[in-house]
Amino acid sequence: MSDLFLDLTFSLLQTLFMLALAPLIIGIIRKVKAKFQRRRGPSIIQPYYDLAKLFHKGSSQSSTVSWVFHIAPYVCLGAVLVASLMVPFFITNTLGVIGDLIVVVYLLAMVRFFMTLAALDTGSAFGGMGSSREMMISAIVEPTMLLAIFTMALITGTTILSDISFNLASTGLDLVHPSLFLAAAAFFVCLMAENARVPFDNPATHLELTMVHEAMVLEYSGKSLAIMELASWTKLVLFAALMANVFFPWGIATEVTAQAIIMGIVAILGKVVLIALVIAVIESSMAKMRLFRLPNLLTVAFTLALLGVLSYYIL
Amino acid sequence: MNEQALTGVINGLAAFILLTAFVMVSHNRMNQLVRTFAIQSIALGAFAFAVAYYTGSDHIYVIAVLTIVLKGIVIPQFLKYTIDKIHVRKEVEPLVGIPLSLLLCAGLVMVAYYVAEPIIAGADAVTRNTLAISVAVVLIGFFLMITRRKAMSEIIALLVIENGIFLGAISITYGMPLIVEIGIFFDVLVAVLIMGLFAFRINQTFETLDTTFMRRLKD
Repeated sequence: MSDLFLDLTFSLLQTLFMLALAPLIIGIIRKVKAKFQRRRGPSIIQPYYDLAKLFHKGSSQSSTVSWVFHIAPYVCLGAVLVASLMVPFFITNTLGVIGDLIVVVYLLAMVRFFMTLAALDTGSAFGGMGSSREMMISAIVEPTMLLAIFTMALITGTTILSDISFNLASTGLDLVHPSLFLAAAAFFVCLMAENARVPFDNPATHLELTMVHEAMVLEYSGKSLAIMELASWTKLVLFAALMANVFFPWGIATEVTAQAIIMGIVAILGKVVLIALVIAVIESSMAKMRLFRLPNLLTVAFTLALLGVLSYYIL
Repeated sequence: MNEQALTGVINGLAAFILLTAFVMVSHNRMNQLVRTFAIQSIALGAFAFAVAYYTGSDHIYVIAVLTIVLKGIVIPQFLKYTIDKIHVRKEVEPLVGIPLSLLLCAGLVMVAYYVAEPIIAGADAVTRNTLAISVAVVLIGFFLMITRRKAMSEIIALLVIENGIFLGAISITYGMPLIVEIGIFFDVLVAVLIMGLFAFRINQTFETLDTTFMRRLKD
């Protein structure tokens, strides 16, 4: 019983940690991109100010919207937070008992589903366009993500995310398998696609020809926009945590001691910031792809994940 | 280096070679195709090095060096030179769309695994598992050859098939005798030179490298 209590405490702590960290990571990405463009850029804590400002503003919306539009931000943020209860962040004690990797992947699918529904609900042309594009991308991303994490489940012999990182972190290098790298590469492409980063979508654009994610949250304002933004930023940190802890979990705390936990916090902060830097470098060095070229890149990622599973059996 | 780490390196390089084969299927520019072929050949050379270190046999070292020099540097440079020389459109123009070809190639990998499994079961070499990968690379090479129109990309497809066969030879027998390998390398080099010249002539005669035009040639 106390074990469950410990898991509950730690998973709540980790969820709060991810939520609090999310704007900072976005701030870091924006700062690095600004440096690449030889701008000074806003301070890395600017996203916190933005959120605070949005929370204090009133929101206005179209008169035709239904209840879906009103509840969507809460559903999105709620689903992301529930998913992050099951994802290890700095320690492998999480609420794995309530759900494994499939639950996490489909909670994230629920976020996407409600976002597209809300965008369709407003009846604006941009919303419909954004939703159809988002669905086109996610149709390939979802199986890729599942296959990539399944590869890790095969290697470690469990589908519970925290057990995957526990097994990998405690066994050391013996479990490293070529398919780990294939799956990690596939998952990284999913990370970029799901979080609307550059080769797939431009997070800074409001140009109707190119926007995908921005088109969907275009009708939101004030508090609901703040919640929507916070949900998608937390989703980015959640993906970074999945990338760091499912594929390269070394350094994460596997036991409840102060030393291990401090070590785990330092390790995960380092890894998440590293992933943020990689994203910023990729965004600064690549142009957004044409929408009809996206299936090519996504199918490459899908094949990578499939190869990961296949090469687990072959090699 | 202990044996387990070495096996890991060998398997990892084999997976990387398979990966480059898939990357080649996804390319739509000829320059990219040549570059990825060069990377694949260098990985193949590294694979041969690892096997040579494992078995301690000298002639595989020679083969590894030859692979890197010939297939990793000389042949790609020659192909690049030819592509620059004949000012054709650089797109590859596959007959099957890229997403579909990637999925078909994933299917080919499964076929390769199914075919190679009985052989793997009876073998005891450290590299036995890479046989399935070598069969897969050969099949992907065939697939590249039949779905590309330009003569230049067909030459690269032939080289991919050759890489696959080379990988297979190393993985089941730890390489053929040195004299045979050197003969094969010489053949490949000459074949590529001659095919490069042919591509040049095809381009001169038809003003394109599209080989579908050549089907109309009749007496």
